Amino acid sequence: MKKTLHQVILGWVMALVVSTPYFAAAATPEPKSESFPLTTKSTTARQLANQALAIYVDHVQQPEAIALLRKAIVADPQFAMAHELLAQISLDSAEQVAEQQKAFATRRHASPVERTAIEWYQNAAEHKMIPAITSMNEVVHQYPHDKLVVWMSSWWLMTQTQYSRALAIYENSQITDSPGLLNNMAYNHAYLRQYDEAINLMAKYAASLPGDPNPEDSYAEILRLAGRYDQSIEHYRAALKIDPEFYSSKFGIADTYSLMGNQRQARKEYDKAFSKFHLEEVQRIMWETREATTYVREGDFKGADRAFQAIADAAHSRHISQVEADSYRQMAIYQPDARRASQLLDKADAALLDGKNAMKAAIMQESAQVLRARVELAVRTGDRQVVRTALDRLDQLAQTANDQMIDAAFHGAAAALSFSEGNYDKAIEHLEEDQDNPISVELLVDAYQKNGDAAAARRTAASLAERNDPTVEQALVVPAFRKCYQDASCNSGLKNVSLPQQASRTFP
Amino acid sequence: MLLLTACAIQAKQLAVVSDKENSTGNVKTADLASILSGKTKTWSDGRPVKIVLRDPNSPEMELVFRRVLNMTADQVRTLMQSRPGLIVVADSDEAILRFVSATRGAIGIVDLYSLTKDVAVIKIDGKLPFDAGYLLKGN
Repeated sequence: MKKTLHQVILGWVMALVVSTPYFAAAATPEPKSESFPLTTKSTTARQLANQALAIYVDHVQQPEAIALLRKAIVADPQFAMAHELLAQISLDSAEQVAEQQKAFATRRHASPVERTAIEWYQNAAEHKMIPAITSMNEVVHQYPHDKLVVWMSSWWLMTQTQYSRALAIYENSQITDSPGLLNNMAYNHAYLRQYDEAINLMAKYAASLPGDPNPEDSYAEILRLAGRYDQSIEHYRAALKIDPEFYSSKFGIADTYSLMGNQRQARKEYDKAFSKFHLEEVQRIMWETREATTYVREGDFKGADRAFQAIADAAHSRHISQVEADSYRQMAIYQPDARRASQLLDKADAALLDGKNAMKAAIMQESAQVLRARVELAVRTGDRQVVRTALDRLDQLAQTANDQMIDAAFHGAAAALSFSEGNYDKAIEHLEEDQDNPISVELLVDAYQKNGDAAAARRTAASLAERNDPTVEQALVVPAFRKCYQDASCNSGLKNVSLPQQASRTFP
Repeated sequence: MLLLTACAIQAKQLAVVSDKENSTGNVKTADLASILSGKTKTWSDGRPVKIVLRDPNSPEMELVFRRVLNMTADQVRTLMQSRPGLIVVADSDEAILRFVSATRGAIGIVDLYSLTKDVAVIKIDGKLPFDAGYLLKGN
């Protein structure tokens, strides 16, 4: 192994700079040039798995890929990696849980690197994050140029909000001919708010798949994230022109109308889409939740209750505990009546206690969200005992869970308490750790202002006004915040920063 | 279509790593400050400390210096100019991990999601990355 230790001046400091090949890795096997193995005793099963990956990774044909993987595990029930891939891409939460268990149970039939990949996902499912990360990096190190490995790692990193690391793995792979990876990387840039880079990759993605609706659909979603709603709808319509059965674009139009503030039109679009397309469970719940959110956006909480209750009832009858709990939690956070909100959180807890058809990690994350909602509610009603009890439980969960989402929930809850006590320094410390939740970000703007940090308040306000994710939290906070932000007579301390032109043009 | 409801903010966590033979499983923030500022030159078993980090101008390293040393970039620049060779600067996390795994007494700081099994993770004030209240975390 070549050694290249050299001394440089890095602009201002004399220091040794170590480049990558300075020392050979101590224990990890060297990178391999061949493909990541898919070990099975059945040729048919391997062919089915390869077909599934070909249509899923590059063409996002998820239901078709799932069907092929289901056939592959029938052909070889001991095909561990096929179980794992099915666990990762299934749209049915019970199947996700069952297939992860089967992948782990059958891993002895797989090769060493496949076993490492399965252990990575198993550790992640059990919230053992450091071993999950080291296993992922071991797989990436051994197969840095393999498309499946780059897809698996970059996708998982996206779920962990590690967009920069996902991009680094992709760039290191030197894979330039995978439309699916171009699509994923465009989203990574968009989530980092690097819209120029996102749009540039999206153009390459579209050129690589002429006549395919998904590039238009992805382009539309990225434009919506950037707040360019009208252009977003144009691209969704272009996708539907290519393929009228491309349901994601039909629902995308509905989502965009909702974010634009046109809830009646949004619901019309959702209803048309639901009546036209049969969806897998995860997708159906996601868009039903977004439709329910349209009522929250227009302040019709009774309408929202009816829609969310229907989702909770369906989830209960199908024993999908996390979805049931999350529906009740979302209902609780918009309730004007604190007693009713508390009852809904009790129902969420009961569903979590049932804990059916969900990964342990998902149940723990939902428990944290429910506890956070309980703390915020108790802060609102001044019930100090409930605040203390729920916050202590959330603290315990955060201490043991090793999970960013749980950690963020704890910080959001602790910040609500600190803010209510007028301890703005402490509130800011916590709120800066929960900048994904619009409720916390709005509180952060207030806390900065109360602490006299006008520049931080303005910067944070500008970023909050740009949020375009179709969640209940966004619906409760952002439209009203934007209205004030754009009104010269409202909170004048925030008015010295103008919104980006593209976003401000399209605000409702 | 991506079918992933992603979050808008990327939370960064950094891990303090050592070679696997290093028996120091935990350091206090003050101990880490003493190591990074060059005051502590050896480990408890007598091995010399060798520090390897990313570009001190990077946002990640600015977070480290602010949280651990309570220093601005300018102050760190002055410190490093007065003690050339105190810190080895690597051009990637992978380079840091290779250096640390192969160098007895080495200590480095990397993006948590770059971590490999070839190094040991050192706790700070009894906390590992992902633990609530972990020092080297930021958005």
